Amino acid sequence: MLKAMIKRALKKDDETVLITKTLLRLEQKDTSTKSRGNLVEDEALDWLKPRALIRPDDQEDVPEADLEEEVGRILTTINPQWVADEVAYHYGQGRFVTKAKPTYGKAYPLYIYQGTAIRKDSDEAKAQVAAGYGMVGFDDAGPKRAKVKKSAAEEEEEEEPEPENVPAEEAKPEEDVQDEEKPKEVIEEQEILKPEAIDEEAAADEGVEETTPEEKEEAEAQVEEKIEIKPRVKKLANQFNFCERAALTYNFPRRSVDTQTIPPPRANYGATVLQCIIFDYYQEDYAKKQREKEEEKPKRLRKKAAKHAKSAQQIHDEQLAQRIREAWTILERLVNQNIYDDIAQDYRYWDDPSDEFREGMGSLLPLWKFQFEPMRNHAVCDVQWNPHYQDLFAVAYGSLDFTQQQKQGCLCLYSIKNPAYPEYSVITDSPIICLDVFKETPYLICVGRYDGNVCVYNAQLTLESSYQYKSDSVRDKHSNIVWEIRWGARLIDGEASFFSISGDGRVVQWAVMPGELQATTIITLHSSVPPIPGPDGTLITVNSCGSCICFHPEKPDIFMVGTEDGMIHTCSLKYNRNYVRSVQGHHMPVYRIHYNYFNNSIYASCSGDWRVKIWEDGRDEPLFMFELGSPVGDVKWAPYSSTVFAACTADGKVYVYDLNVNKYRPICVQAVVSKKTKKLTRIDFNPRLPVVVCGDTKGTCHVVKLSPNLRVMCKPPKKAQGIDQRSLQIMKLDKLLSLVRDPPFQTGVVDEKFDDD
Amino acid sequence: MAEEGAAAGGITAEKVIHTYPLIRHSDMSEEMRTEAVELSVTACEKFSQNNELAARMVKESMDKKFGPAFHVVVGESYGFEITYECTTICYMYFGGNQAICIWKCS
Repeated sequence: MLKAMIKRALKKDDETVLITKTLLRLEQKDTSTKSRGNLVEDEALDWLKPRALIRPDDQEDVPEADLEEEVGRILTTINPQWVADEVAYHYGQGRFVTKAKPTYGKAYPLYIYQGTAIRKDSDEAKAQVAAGYGMVGFDDAGPKRAKVKKSAAEEEEEEEPEPENVPAEEAKPEEDVQDEEKPKEVIEEQEILKPEAIDEEAAADEGVEETTPEEKEEAEAQVEEKIEIKPRVKKLANQFNFCERAALTYNFPRRSVDTQTIPPPRANYGATVLQCIIFDYYQEDYAKKQREKEEEKPKRLRKKAAKHAKSAQQIHDEQLAQRIREAWTILERLVNQNIYDDIAQDYRYWDDPSDEFREGMGSLLPLWKFQFEPMRNHAVCDVQWNPHYQDLFAVAYGSLDFTQQQKQGCLCLYSIKNPAYPEYSVITDSPIICLDVFKETPYLICVGRYDGNVCVYNAQLTLESSYQYKSDSVRDKHSNIVWEIRWGARLIDGEASFFSISGDGRVVQWAVMPGELQATTIITLHSSVPPIPGPDGTLITVNSCGSCICFHPEKPDIFMVGTEDGMIHTCSLKYNRNYVRSVQGHHMPVYRIHYNYFNNSIYASCSGDWRVKIWEDGRDEPLFMFELGSPVGDVKWAPYSSTVFAACTADGKVYVYDLNVNKYRPICVQAVVSKKTKKLTRIDFNPRLPVVVCGDTKGTCHVVKLSPNLRVMCKPPKKAQGIDQRSLQIMKLDKLLSLVRDPPFQTGVVDEKFDDD
Repeated sequence: MAEEGAAAGGITAEKVIHTYPLIRHSDMSEEMRTEAVELSVTACEKFSQNNELAARMVKESMDKKFGPAFHVVVGESYGFEITYECTTICYMYFGGNQAICIWKCS
């Protein structure tokens, strides 16, 4: 009966099967719980696949019969709340009428969607297919559609066999999804249709109603079918080959921009490498370097170098000239020796015979006179024998007439072998006041000049070279006349140094650095005079003007300074503020302080106040004092005797004293120059020969020989014959000093001297 | 005569062999030139018998320090006519008989 109904219903339209099934599936969603029968049916399917159920140990043991028992659960489409005889008042008819059974009693449309699908066999669909709109093969379509189609085909197959056999028939290998779904569908279909059939039988009068839902179902199926067909048209063949619109981003258009930089600048260069070229260039470069080295030297030396850089012919000429000059020098000496033969003989051999008869008195034998023609009007401001060459002495030409100062000066080296012309002479642009010959290298002579500069001359250099070092006229020269200059000990670094004293009251040490002189002010001679108010009221401290300097023979840092106000200060290099000692030695400028060669504590000083004083270190009073009746320009101890000293005075006389012979009177007084026209300025003992050189204000140097009485050597006492001369000299002086020292007050000496005069 | 001989002797004595590096032509910067000269001296002293290795050493060191494409020629007798990037050439002598040319061109 049921089957027949289904068949009949299905026969209406083949498509209805599909519709029914779809409808059933919709309802199946509502009936979420499966019936027991469904489970059984599932188990019935399972025998196809060997399956061993794993049951838990604590599972309750249920008898097989109970399990087999069918528990019926019937789903009906009749609403239990529905009242069959419900009436409602009909206003139109004016009576109560029975309310019609609601058509939606079995199915409630919850949501109706008017689809756009069309039937595939409709004209519109055909037209679309004809237009090639849905020309997609069925097999190529997606799985969903294929399944739908298949299930539709199955429905048709189902019609012939019994529904119970359907699972068996469907045991062919199929997709798992279909395996699971299909039996359920079929069974549900049966279950749903059963009440329907009952419903049909129960209410025969509802036949009209019966069809109505069927039609409605059909309409719904149509809707469903439309949904199914729609993707068939649009679906692409390959489901994996799909694209989502959302994943595609906008492709930016491309554009290429390029620029070109300026290429780095290039240049061409070419050369050829040859050994000769390399050699030549090295030579050239070497020569250039030599030239640069020359240029680094002081300008004055560069001039000389430039001269040397003359052509070979000129060099040759110069060499020739030099040789000729040397030859002439020898010739000149020969001639001079002939001319001054008698003087040379006297110098060597003549001793004044009269000395034997003049006990304790001596005389001076004038020998040569040295003059340098351009310096005829200059004064000899300093004269000094060379410590190394016994025949050579250096002369500084300057001027002591300050009202008519000379423009030039001159440094000359004379040899007594040639009295006619100096061996070396260099004319300077300022008068030279003092000089000193470096004992270590006797060709280096430092000079102090009238303008305050100090220079070092190298007598080995040619005349053009002029000075070798000169103080900086701007930076560190003296601001007054340099009165005396003395070489000092070498510095720690080995550089030679010399000291200068000037009228500006400073003692400056000059270090002879390569190419320059470095000045250090050792001491500034402060005066006892209180500061004098200047024109604008500022107090001006007065420096005492230094006039001479003398270093201690053994202590290189002790030196004595004589000033123009007559003070004699003992100073030390270590103290630049204070004097070690100060003595008011004279009343006029001190011209010379000179240490005894044999006793380091005895020194002599001379001054413009006509006096020569002999001092002992540490004593405020002089040991001896001699009045010479004229400003004393110089005093020097004799190098051969500890008690002999010589002084020269402005009235042209040379005084020679021997304290051992006569403590009060000179043993020789001799006028060397005329006192009307000339004055004697400086005097110096030759360190080895018995000659003395003295200079006058007219540029002449007089060499005089000491008579035998003036150079008496000590005779060793008979007891001690072996004692050398030096010890004897020291003993002689000590003996003399002991005599002098004994009376503490020495005024008697002076008194006696004055009495004598 | 004797003096002339002495003078001639003096001239021969002056014939010193110079071995210091001597730049003949260079437009390099001071720093670069110092570097180049030092490198050349080092290389030529290290490979005094092999100019190729010396040149290689100079070139590679210069490449490392100042960027690539340096060219170095070391030799005693050759000629060259090159195009170089400005401020990168150094043509120098070393050891009295070697000429080294360093330039850059890429």
